[in-house]
Amino acid sequence: MTSFFGRFKPGTNPASPASNSPAAKKDPNAPQPTPLEKLLADAGPIRGDGSDKFFGFENFGSTCYCNSIIQCLYYSVPFREQVINFPFRSPPEALERPADSALPRINTDLLPISNGQNSALSPKGRNSLSSPTAASPRKPVITPGATTNPQGVKPEDNKDSPEYKKKQAIAAGPVLTMDYENSKAYGMSESLFASLKDIFEAVIANASRIGVVSPTRFLEILRRENEMFRTPMHQDAHEFLNLLLNEVVENVEQFSKQRVKEIGDADSNGLIVNSGAVVPDQKSTVSSHNTGWVHELFEGTLTSETRCLTCENTSQRDEAFLDLSVDLDQHSSVTSCLRKFSEEEMLCERNKFHCDNCGGLQEAEKRMKIKRLPKILALHLKRFKYTEDLQRLQKLFHRVVYPYYLRLFNTTDDAEDPDRLYELYAVVVHIGGGPYHGHYVSIIKTQDRGWLLFDDEMVEPVDKAYVRNFFGGENVLACAYVLFYQETTYEAMQKEQEAEGLAAEHATELNQEPIVASPHKQNGTANGHAGHAGHPSHPLQHATTPLTEPDEQWASLNHAATAPLPSHEQNGLGHIVTSIPILSAKKSNIQSRHEKAEKAKEEKERKAAEKELEKQAKHKRKEMETQRRENYRKQEEQLRAALAASRATATEEQKLRREAPPAEVEIDRQVDKVKERENGLGKGGGLSRFRHSSMSLRHKPKFWPGGKDKHDEVKEAEHEMPATPGMETDGTPSGTPDKPEKSKNRFSLGRKKSTFHL
Amino acid sequence: MFVLPPPPRYPTGYPGAPGSGPLIETNNTLTHPTGPEHQLVVGEGTYLLREDLHLATPPPHPSEAPIHNPNPLATTLSPPSSGTKLSLVVLAPRQPSYARLYKLETTNSTRSQVPPSIQESPHETNSQTSDAGSHSANGVAPSPLEGLQAPAFGEGNPMLSVINGKDAKDPLKRRKPKSNIIKSNSSFVSRVIPHEALSKRLQEHNPNGLFAFANVNRALQWLDFSSPTKEEHMTKVLFTKAHALCHDINQITKGPNHIDLVLGFSTGDIIWYEPMSQKYARMNKNGVINGSAVSDIRWLPNSEHLFLASHMDGSLIVYDKEKEDALFVAEDQAPATELAPEEKEQKPSLTIKKSVNSKNQKTNPVSYWKTSNSKINAFAFSPDGRHFAVVSEDGSFRVIDFLKEQLLHVYTSYYGGMLCVCWSPDGRYIVTGGQDDLVSIWSLEDSMLVARCQGHNSWVTAVAFDPWRCDERNYRIGSVGEDCRLLLWDFSVGMLHRPRAASVRQRGSVTSATLKMQRSRTEGSTTRLRSNSNLTSGSVVDEEEVVHAVEPRARTAMLPPVMAKSVDEHPLCWLGFEEDCIITSCNNGHIRTWDRPKEGAGSDDDTPSTTSVSASAGASNA
Repeated sequence: MTSFFGRFKPGTNPASPASNSPAAKKDPNAPQPTPLEKLLADAGPIRGDGSDKFFGFENFGSTCYCNSIIQCLYYSVPFREQVINFPFRSPPEALERPADSALPRINTDLLPISNGQNSALSPKGRNSLSSPTAASPRKPVITPGATTNPQGVKPEDNKDSPEYKKKQAIAAGPVLTMDYENSKAYGMSESLFASLKDIFEAVIANASRIGVVSPTRFLEILRRENEMFRTPMHQDAHEFLNLLLNEVVENVEQFSKQRVKEIGDADSNGLIVNSGAVVPDQKSTVSSHNTGWVHELFEGTLTSETRCLTCENTSQRDEAFLDLSVDLDQHSSVTSCLRKFSEEEMLCERNKFHCDNCGGLQEAEKRMKIKRLPKILALHLKRFKYTEDLQRLQKLFHRVVYPYYLRLFNTTDDAEDPDRLYELYAVVVHIGGGPYHGHYVSIIKTQDRGWLLFDDEMVEPVDKAYVRNFFGGENVLACAYVLFYQETTYEAMQKEQEAEGLAAEHATELNQEPIVASPHKQNGTANGHAGHAGHPSHPLQHATTPLTEPDEQWASLNHAATAPLPSHEQNGLGHIVTSIPILSAKKSNIQSRHEKAEKAKEEKERKAAEKELEKQAKHKRKEMETQRRENYRKQEEQLRAALAASRATATEEQKLRREAPPAEVEIDRQVDKVKERENGLGKGGGLSRFRHSSMSLRHKPKFWPGGKDKHDEVKEAEHEMPATPGMETDGTPSGTPDKPEKSKNRFSLGRKKSTFHL
Repeated sequence: MFVLPPPPRYPTGYPGAPGSGPLIETNNTLTHPTGPEHQLVVGEGTYLLREDLHLATPPPHPSEAPIHNPNPLATTLSPPSSGTKLSLVVLAPRQPSYARLYKLETTNSTRSQVPPSIQESPHETNSQTSDAGSHSANGVAPSPLEGLQAPAFGEGNPMLSVINGKDAKDPLKRRKPKSNIIKSNSSFVSRVIPHEALSKRLQEHNPNGLFAFANVNRALQWLDFSSPTKEEHMTKVLFTKAHALCHDINQITKGPNHIDLVLGFSTGDIIWYEPMSQKYARMNKNGVINGSAVSDIRWLPNSEHLFLASHMDGSLIVYDKEKEDALFVAEDQAPATELAPEEKEQKPSLTIKKSVNSKNQKTNPVSYWKTSNSKINAFAFSPDGRHFAVVSEDGSFRVIDFLKEQLLHVYTSYYGGMLCVCWSPDGRYIVTGGQDDLVSIWSLEDSMLVARCQGHNSWVTAVAFDPWRCDERNYRIGSVGEDCRLLLWDFSVGMLHRPRAASVRQRGSVTSATLKMQRSRTEGSTTRLRSNSNLTSGSVVDEEEVVHAVEPRARTAMLPPVMAKSVDEHPLCWLGFEEDCIITSCNNGHIRTWDRPKEGAGSDDDTPSTTSVSASAGASNA
C-alpha cells in the first residue's frame, strides 16, 4: 500500500497544483508559485493528521477575529486531534456517504486513495465546489475584494499587497465552502463544535495541501447563538476564543450523554467501521471524564488567597481558567505581566472583601497564583483599556516583549511541575489604531514548516524572527494580542533550536537528511505519535514529508471504500473514547527526536526503552479502555430510554434533510431543539460548572460581590445565572425560543465583558 | 476582507518615532535633567544624573532610502540592530584606580595581588590576575606583567609567532591601518565628519579624560567625555548601509597617538579603525569569511593584533587586524564533515573549523570555532585572559578555554535567550542576563548557578560589575533592560553559598528524564579533548559536568535588587561603571551619566552597602 503511494505521489507535485494544471486557467497573472507553494514544493504525500494542511480562511467582513483564532486552534496538535477524534474520526463514516446521500458531506475531493485515480495533485482538488448547496453562487455573495475592501480594486493590483494575494488564494482554490454540517454524522446536534469539526475534517480530507476555507456555517451558528457577534462590526478575538472554548466544552459535554448510544452501536457492529481511525492508539489515555479534553488542554487552576486584614484569617479558593488576561505596562515582558498578575492586591473601598470569619465587608489582601498549569497557556494581553477621560476603550500600544520559551514564576508552592517549560506556538496580532476596528491575523508555528502567517485567505511562510515584529511600541499598529504557549520539554526545545540553526545554515544540503534519518518504520510499529507531537520539532523549513508516513497510510485506508480494514490492535477500542493522553507530550517528544534523529546509537537505546514504555502504556490503556467501556454500558442502560427518543428525531431529521436540503438550517435547528428538549434535560446547572471565563486579576473583585467567596464555583455560577436570560431575549434570527443552556454563554461573556471594560 | 485600519490615533505622550528619523543631519544635544526622578538612591548614597547626551540619529543614506511599506505585516525583516553601545578609553594608564579596585583598605590588602583562590581551587579558572579585564568598559589597563601570566593565544604555533616577532621589532611605533577613511572612496563608508578643531581638541584632551566611541544607527561617533563641549563629536563616521553593532578598544595598544578600535557590522564586515590618524582597514569584506552579522567583538586579552568576533550564525572567529582575508574553507574537517549529524548531537562540543594551531596562518581567520547554530548574542573574556563566556539566543551559556580551544561548561537559561554576560573582576563569578528577565549569577569554581536575581520587568540587555564596589566577598552588579530600568544588586559570598547545600550533586534538570538525557549526552561528548592542545589538561573540570541542566526554581536562591529605577524613556542596551559615575545608554541614542555619591567615597567603601549580607569568615571558598 504504502509503497504504491510512495511511488505514485512523489512523482507529481502535490504541493503546488496551482502551478501545474490550473495554471492555464489563471495564467496571465500568476504563473509563479506563491511562497507557500514553494515551501511545500518538495513535500511528500499528504498526511492523515492534518499537520501539513495550510488553508486560509475566507473573510466575510470583519470575521478575521474568527479566522485567526480557528487557525491557532487548528495548529495546536492536541486540540486538532481531539476535535477530529471526538467523538470519533469521521473518515470511516465519510465512506458511508454514498449510501446515505442525503447527508451533505465534505464537499471536496477526498484523498484519492486506493482507487488512485486522482493524485493528490488532482486539478479537481482545486476550485471544486461540489457541495450540494455550493451550487449557489458563492462568490457574488461574499466576494472579499468587492464587499469589504474600501480601496476597491487598487490595492489588489499590487501583486505584493495582501489584497492581491488573498484574491489569488481564492482564485486558486480549492475553496472549501463549509455551508453544510455533519453534526448528525457525528451523532451530535448542531453546534459550534460540530461545525468546527466539519471544518477541520474537510481541511484534512481535502486532497490539496493548500486552499481556502469558507466557514459560512460556522459563522452562521456563531451569530445565531451569540448576538454580540451578529453585527458586521469588528469583534474581539479573545472574546471569541473564550466563547469558542466554552462552547466546545459545552457541546462535548452535551454529546457525552448521547454518546452512550454510539458506543452501544459500536459494540455490536461499529467495531469494524471505526477501526480505521487514523490515530489509533492516541486516544486511549484515561481521564476521569473523557469529555474533558478541552479542560485538560486549556484549563489551569488559579488559587486566590485572601487575607482579611481585620481578623488575619486567610481564605483560599481555587478557580479554573481557560486563558489568562494580563494587564500591560509600557516596556515590559510577558513574564513581568504574569508576575504582576499574581502580585498582592489590596481589596479596599469599593472592593472590600466579605469575610466569613469576622462577618461583613473588610479590607483584605489578595493574590492569585497558578496552582495547576495548563497544557496550553492562552495569554490575553489586555491591549484594550477603558480610559476614563475618553469614556471608551483605547488601544494600548505598549511594547511588551514575549520570549519563544516561557516558564511561569507565579505558581503556588504546591503546584505540580512549577518549572514547566512552554513554547510559543501562535500569536494573534491585532492591527489597527483602536479596539473598534482593525484586523486580526495569526502567526503560527507549524509542525514541520516553521512559522506561517495566516491572514484570512492568505497563508505565507515567515521567518522565525518575524514573530518578534509584534511586540508593539510607539507607532506600531500591529501588536500581539493573544499568545498561545504550549507545554514542551527541554529536549524538544534543544532539538528544535539545533535544527533551526541547521536549517538556516545549510538549508539546501541538509534537506533530505531528516528523511534518511527518520526511523519511520519504528514509528509505524510503535504507532505514530509522530503526528501527535504536542510540540513539533519541525524546524527544517524544507522538510520533506517522510514517504513512509504511517499516518498517511492509515488515512488512505480510511478513505478507501474497498480497502481492507487495517488490522490494528487498537481496533475498535481506541476510537471510541477520545481524551488527551496525559503522556502524549512527552512521548511524542521523544518521537519527534526520532524523526530528526541524527545519532544512531543513542537512538537505538532510546528506541528500545521507548518500545518498552509503549508496550506498557498500551497494556494499561487497554485495561482502562475496557473499564471505561463497561462504565459506558451501564450508563447506556440508564439513558437508553431518553436516547430512543432522540434516535427517532434523528431519523426524522435525516428525512427532512433529504427532502429539503436548502432549508436545512431552519429544520436542523428546530430538530436540534426538539432533541435538546427531549434528552438534554439533565444538563442545566451541571454544565455551568465548566464555564470558565478568562481570569484577570483587576476585575476579580467585581465578580465576587460580598459574601460570595464561598469556595465553590458552582454556587457562583448559579448565582449569576438568573441574571443572564434577560440579555438573551432578543432572540435568534429565526425566532426560535432560546434555551437555558445558551444563556450560559452569556454568563461567560458577561464576565468577560466586564473584564474588558476595566 | 482586510479592513484597512483608519489613520492611527497614537496615544499621546510618546516621544518621536524611532523609525522615522529626522531627514537632515542633526547635532547631538546635551541636557541636564534634574529632580527626584533623576536620582538613584542606594545604600551608599545618591547617584545624581549629571547629564543626558542624546546622539543625533543620522538620516538614512540617500542610496539606501528606507523602503516605506505601509503594510504592518510586511514580511521584510529589518536588519539586526543593537541600540547605542559605548567603548570607553582613558589614554593614560590608570594605575591609581587599579589600586583602589578592591577597596584594599577594607580587609587584607594583599588579596588583590594574589587572590587566595588560586591556591584553594584546582581550577585554573580562578583568576591569576585580578585585573578588571583589558576589555572592560571602565578602561582600566591591565598591567603588562600580569598579562604575561596567561600564555598568549596561539603561543605554540610558530606560524603565528612570526608575526608576533615582526610587531615586536618596533613596539613603540604602532602599526596603523592602510587606508585613509576620509579619502576613502569605498562604498562602505559614506562620509567622515571630523570636528573642525579636531587637532586642537586632541591637544587639549586630558590624558586622564574619557574618550568614548558610540554607535547610533549607521553612524559611529567619537566623543570626548572630559571636554566641556562633549556633545560635539570628535569625529563622526557615517557608513552607507551597514550598522556598527559592536566595537572594542584595544587597551594594550592605546596611547596618546594611537587607539585601535574594531567594529563589527550588521553586514558581517569588520573594520579596524584608528581614529587619530583616520586610517582604517576592512576585514571579512562582504562576508568572505563569514556572511552573518557580527554580534559582539573584543580584542583578545593582552593581544595587540588579535580580536575575537562572534557572528550571528554561532561562529566565533579570531581575526588578525593586519592580515588579509581569504575565502574560508573549514580545515581539520576530516571527521567533522563526515559525521555532521553526530556532530550536532554532541552539542557540548566546540566545533573547531580552524584551529589556532593550524599551519595556514598567512590569512584571516586565525581560528574559527562554532558553538552551535544559534545566534550568539554576546561574549566576555575572563579577567585572567584564559577563558571566555558566550551567551546565545537559544538560551545557552558556554564557558570556553580558548587557549586550549576547549569547551568547559554549557549552562542553560531558565528560559529564553541569553543576551549579555560579564565576569566578576576576580574571575570567580559570571553574570548573565536574558529573556527570562533574570540576572543569573554562576560560580565557576563550583560550576553551578548560585542565584537568580529577579527584579527586571523585561529582558535584561546588559550586565556589568562595578569594580569600585567589589571586594573579595562582596560584589556589586548593575543591570539594565528593555524595561528602561537600571537595577543594582549586591551579593556576598556567604549569601551565595547558602543554596549550595540543597543542590550540590543532585542538581538535576526539571524532570528526571531530562537529567538522564543530559548525562548520556554528556558522556558521549566529553571524550572530545583535543589532542593538539599544547597545554596540560589535568586541571580540567570534572568531565561529566560539561552540560548542566536547568536548575529548578525551588532550588535556587532569589536575590532582590538593592536599587531599581527607571532611568530612561527607551529600552536600555548598555551599562558601564566608571570611577566617578555610572553610564547608561538606550536604543535611541541617549547616553546618561550618573555621578556617584559625592560624600567621601572612602568612608562609603568601608561600610558594605546595607543590603549585602555580611560575609561569614572564610566563606570565600567553602
